[in-house]
Amino acid sequence: MIPSTVRTNLKTALTSISGLRCYDIIPDSINVPAAVVGQLDFTFDYSLNRGTDQATCEVILIVSKMVERMGQAKLDAYLAGSGADSVKAAIEADTTLSGAVKTLRVTSAAAGIISSNGTDFLSYRYAVELIG
Amino acid sequence: MALFMGNKVTVILGSTTVSTNVSTVNLQREVDAVEVTAMNDTLANVVAGIERSNLTIDFYQDFASGNVNALIEAAFGSKLNVKLVPVTGTVSTSNPSYSMSCLVSQYQPINGSTDGVMTQSVTWPVTAMTIATS
Repeated sequence: MIPSTVRTNLKTALTSISGLRCYDIIPDSINVPAAVVGQLDFTFDYSLNRGTDQATCEVILIVSKMVERMGQAKLDAYLAGSGADSVKAAIEADTTLSGAVKTLRVTSAAAGIISSNGTDFLSYRYAVELIG
Repeated sequence: MALFMGNKVTVILGSTTVSTNVSTVNLQREVDAVEVTAMNDTLANVVAGIERSNLTIDFYQDFASGNVNALIEAAFGSKLNVKLVPVTGTVSTSNPSYSMSCLVSQYQPINGSTDGVMTQSVTWPVTAMTIATS
């Protein structure tokens, strides 16, 4: 599993969601709605002989809080388990990320607020479990 | 004294190396303890009887052609040659190989759950074993 490839391909997978700006590096300023592919936490030697490692990657989904009802509605669509705007469905559409991993699963999404340049945004922090 | 981690074990089913689909492997050698306690013995006395060893492997399932599922399904109910090498590389006195014949007496082709990859754990009786150092 090559972290840079995983992060790039996660970003590519997320671009299937119309209107979502996707970053595989943490930007200095954010134009919302946006998804930021974070760093990978690694657990090595998931199988024998360096066959596979396990990693968890955080994907942060950010939408504006300026118009709160619209922001929440958009977040709900992203949070859904299926549908054109579903983050889980977009990431799991190809569970190998074009061959970058052997399998993956979006395991959780935690709601919250994220601040950038003094502005608060609604957010969800997705955890993606990767094996490869 | 050499120490080494347990993450480099080579596991070969038949002639196919499947190590990268294995998370744990355990070869348990055991002989029957046959009691021969006689009159006037003050402690129970036992001698070694027949060997009843078992091989336990935890696999990550793979249905690809020639991989874990195909190899085990083909051998189910019959004997399968298995070879283990403690550290992948040259077999030597400090890295002996264990070659054995196992009865594929159990198998879980489907073992799914919502929170992880598909795995299977098998324990097979060993019916013959050879230890090699070269």
